[in-house]
Formats: sequence, structure tokens, C-alpha cells
Amino acid sequence: MCSACGFPAAPGHWTDAGADTPHDRLRGRFRRAQVLQRVLPAYGLTAFDGGEVPGIQVANLAGSQTIVSDLEALWRVAETLIGGPVDPLDPRFTDER
Amino acid sequence: MNQRVEGRARLTVLGGFLGSGKTTWLRHQLHTGRFAESCVIVNEAAETPVDDALLGQASQLRVLAGGCACCAGRTALVALLRELVDVRSRTRSSSRRLQQIVLETSGLADPAAIVEVIRSDPVLVRHIVVNEIIVVVDALHALGQLQREPLGRKQIEIADQLIVTKVDTAEPASLRVLLATLASMNPGATLAAAVRGSAEPLADFQGTAPLPLCDLGTAPSRGPITPIRLCIDETADWPGFTVWLSALLHARGDDIVRVKGVVRTPAGRLLLQSVHRIVQSPEILPEGNGGPDLNAVVVLGRGYTPDQLRRSLRYFTGDSPSPRAGG
Repeated sequence: MCSACGFPAAPGHWTDAGADTPHDRLRGRFRRAQVLQRVLPAYGLTAFDGGEVPGIQVANLAGSQTIVSDLEALWRVAETLIGGPVDPLDPRFTDER
Repeated sequence: MNQRVEGRARLTVLGGFLGSGKTTWLRHQLHTGRFAESCVIVNEAAETPVDDALLGQASQLRVLAGGCACCAGRTALVALLRELVDVRSRTRSSSRRLQQIVLETSGLADPAAIVEVIRSDPVLVRHIVVNEIIVVVDALHALGQLQREPLGRKQIEIADQLIVTKVDTAEPASLRVLLATLASMNPGATLAAAVRGSAEPLADFQGTAPLPLCDLGTAPSRGPITPIRLCIDETADWPGFTVWLSALLHARGDDIVRVKGVVRTPAGRLLLQSVHRIVQSPEILPEGNGGPDLNAVVVLGRGYTPDQLRRSLRYFTGDSPSPRAGG
């Protein structure tokens, strides 16, 4: 495998590629949790990232909690908890209001 | 003995389905010096070209964006090739003339239709000879695509050379089935394997049964794959965008075949690429080398409208109220 002919790839999970300073990374995590909180409560789920420990905490209304390492894992857990995927093309996210 | 010398320019057609690794393969070939004196033409179905940013080592690079060269972009392809052969014809035979053209097709192109474009043009047929058709095959996704996409089959059937890419990521058993399937679909083509463009040994698939392929002619049409450009404006920051895209690929990764684009972030310009649900680690594009400064991605897929996609992105990243509960 050749690694000389491309540009350098951002390390870590692809969703973490947009920040390269500790400050940007922390701000990105808070913003990510904020966006998730706009989306998940409609499915009876909550997401929390306090920035102190790695990962995102996902919980359902019954109080069951899981910590996931990245967004891909989060959508897998969410699908298990609610019995279907969170679909951004669901009318609740695409209807004009 | 009087040996006839071929005076026409040689054309290599590089095809393969969306996200199969055409540009990655070509980039490595250019890095190793293959096609060094060639003119490389990159065709992209979307109006937002991205691949040209990766092919900086080509001695001559031309971009045909906004239409697949085998159908909507046909006229533009003929005009560009005519321009190239015109310049070539005016160059003295004692000087260095363009000998080789490499055409990287869009992932939605049928290479046979492109060959037909050249053969049916009275000017081009006298100046260009189709030397080889190389088709790149994604080791990870090709088996699924062969069962669903008639275009994926056509691309393989026309190839002189099939290069199976990403062989390091595929399950050995399914890789052997893929190789056996390719060999049964196109026994005349040579088979090779590659990882990020570098040649790899081909797995032994003797005795492996090929995948039985159903007749797609009777299957209901799933609609065409269309490119949709999404601008990532200042309200759509990277964290919001990644929440949206990761959810979208998780839920719709069968229908969304390909996403690619360049997104500006605090960490620099990121080249983002995905194939179905697999997202490649974004490459950090150097600043100030030209190339695309887009802050936009192109989504190629089916099963939704451009408006739905844009509203959904705006919902996730904008400041609209919380979604309705239930449902």
C-alpha cells in the first residue's frame, strides 16, 4: 500500500476531523451534543456530552444508559433502542413549517 | 517487412461504479510515472468537480463536469477530444506530440457508450484509438451492486482489465466469490488487485462458485442515481453536518451510493468521501494550491428529492424549532 501519493488523512474517527486544537475539539463536542438534543428527544432518547469523559451518553426514558465512542455507534444504539433508524429524511425533519 | 505504425493517439478509458476507487488508482499510477506524458481527462456527473484536486501530478489535466460523458456530457467530451487532436495534428511529428489520453469516466458512465461516441465521430475515429478499457471494482460493495445495478454489470462486461480495489478491507471468502463472479462475467478480461492504487497479489479463487446473478431486466426500476449539490454555509458547521451525515448514511446507506466534497473547517479544508456507509478518513487539502474551495458536498443516490435533503440538513444544523414528537 502506498501512502506517498495522497494528502495526509485526519486521524481518528471521520466525524472528529473538523478540529485540531483541544479548544476546537471541546467546542465541537458541545455543539454535537446540542444538535443531537434537537433530534433525539422526538424518539424518546437523550444525548449528553459533558466534555469530561470521552464518548457520548445516550439514554432512553426508561433510564437505560449507554456510552458510545462516536456517532456511528450512536446511531446503531439508537436504532436498537427505538426499533428503527433515526432517518434524517423523515417528514418530521423535512416538512416545511 | 513493412510494419504499420499506429499514428493515432491512444485512449485509455478508466471506468467503474461510483466510489469504486478510480481516482485513487489513477493518482497512484501518476505517482509511479505511468501515464506520465498523458493528458488526463476527468469526467464528473456532478457540476462540482472534486477529483481534479487529487490528480495534481498529471502533466495535463482537463475537467468535464456537470454531465456524464456517455450521455448528457457527450457533446462536451467530443468537443474536448477534438480540441486535443486538433492541437496534436498541428504539432510537428518531430516534436513531442500527445500520444496518450486517459479518460476517467464518472461512476455513472457506461464505458461502451463512450467508446461508441469516439467510433461514431468522423474526426475522432481517425485520430484516437481506444487502447484499453480499465474498470475498477470495489471489493467491498461490488457484489451488492452487481445484484442491484444494471450499470455495474455493463461496466464489468466491457472491460479489458478489471482492477479489484480495497482488497484489504474485504472478507477473504466474499472476495473470492467476487473474483469468480468477475471471471465468469468477463472471462476475457485480465484481473488484478490493488490497495490505494498499489498492486496486490490476487487471491486464489479456483473452485469458488460465482454469485448467481438474477435478471435485472424484469426487476422494477429503482429510479436513476442523481447528483445533488449541498452547500455547507456558515450555519452548517462541521459538528452539525457530521451528525446529519452520519445519521443519513446509517439510515439510507443503501440508497446513498456516494458522497464527496470539500468542507472548510477549523482544521483546514477537508476532502470528504463516502461509499454507501463507509466514510474514508478525510484528507486535509493543502491551502493555496488552487483546487476546489467549495464548502459543498455532492450526494449521489436515489429515493429522495433535493428539497428534502436540503431541508433535512437545514433542520439538523440550523436554528429551527424542535421536531414534532412521536411518529
